[in-house]
Amino acid sequence: MRLAGQPDGNGATFWFPFRAGVRQAAGLPSLVLMASLIGVGGLTRDIGYPMWAGVFSTVLLWAGPAQVLLFGSLAAGASLPAIAVAVSLSSIRFFPMVVSLLPLLRGPGVGTGKLLFGAHFVAVTAWTEGRRLLPGLPVEQRYPFFIGFSVMVMAAATFATGAGYFLIAALPAAFAAALLFTTPMFFTLSLVAGSRTLADWAALGLGFALAPLATALVGQDFDLLVVGLVGGTLAYAIHRMRGGR
Amino acid sequence: MLAELEQASGGLWPYLVVIVIGFLPTEVWRVAGVLAGRNLDENSQVMVWVRMVATALVAGVVAKLLMSPSGALTVVPLWGRLGALAAGVAVYFVARRSVLAGLFVGEMVLIGVGLWGSQV
Repeated sequence: MRLAGQPDGNGATFWFPFRAGVRQAAGLPSLVLMASLIGVGGLTRDIGYPMWAGVFSTVLLWAGPAQVLLFGSLAAGASLPAIAVAVSLSSIRFFPMVVSLLPLLRGPGVGTGKLLFGAHFVAVTAWTEGRRLLPGLPVEQRYPFFIGFSVMVMAAATFATGAGYFLIAALPAAFAAALLFTTPMFFTLSLVAGSRTLADWAALGLGFALAPLATALVGQDFDLLVVGLVGGTLAYAIHRMRGGR
Repeated sequence: MLAELEQASGGLWPYLVVIVIGFLPTEVWRVAGVLAGRNLDENSQVMVWVRMVATALVAGVVAKLLMSPSGALTVVPLWGRLGALAAGVAVYFVARRSVLAGLFVGEMVLIGVGLWGSQV
């Protein structure tokens, strides 16, 4: 794939593919991320944290589920070490995601420092779009394209986080509820969209069904850890029993 | 002890929590991914297990947010929250796997229940 209107000179070697990435991100990808992070802004206010804590969480964590885990568990009054472990468990998926995206980001002049910077943007959206679009680009344009795409979606999501913080206080009750509902609705849909095998569905269903049970059995502190480890391991057992490799 | 820490940090406590409890436990996996490089197969058994645990964990968070919500979401009763979620998922499939359509309808149902509840 050649990017439209590509200049021949060297002056535009970074900014030209960067801008192409920004344009690629400006439509649906940004909208989807805004929908998923607006609720986090509301959640931030709901637990009495300042707006900037929510905004920084989007820029720093860049992981919707981890942010919801963090603020949701704080709201439930869980202990901080337990929250840290749950957040970390939910983010292990970034490890294989980064590993599989690295070959596409490497290029001339892209060393470990730049790769670490690029890896920070790896989350569901940038990863799926990166895997889809980067292979069609010339090697030297991939990294700047990915950064442009990522910076655009992150800017949109960060704006939405801040907006959600103010909106939740300004809206009538039913609409404020809808703002907080964005997060569970969106994450359920992305889990459903990502489920292909019976084991995937089992992990989703078990996680949902075990949550109230685990809260009753082990309390607010460690219930999510139990849900993740027990539900995930049972789903993995189903995966193995069905001969999955 | 925690209360003392919170006091000593002044207004910076929420930011400390975001960095230490949120950012570091998340970012460590991205850094590890870069450093481990290509010595790892994303389809290996360990990675399948990791994916299952992460899925169950996120589903568990969703369930907790819906079943014991805080603040603004409590104006909608439990059946309304679960019904709106089910409606959103159903529409997702009917609308040829459209996440935005599912999100939109789920929100509409929730707002509808919320408005209806405030009039009764």
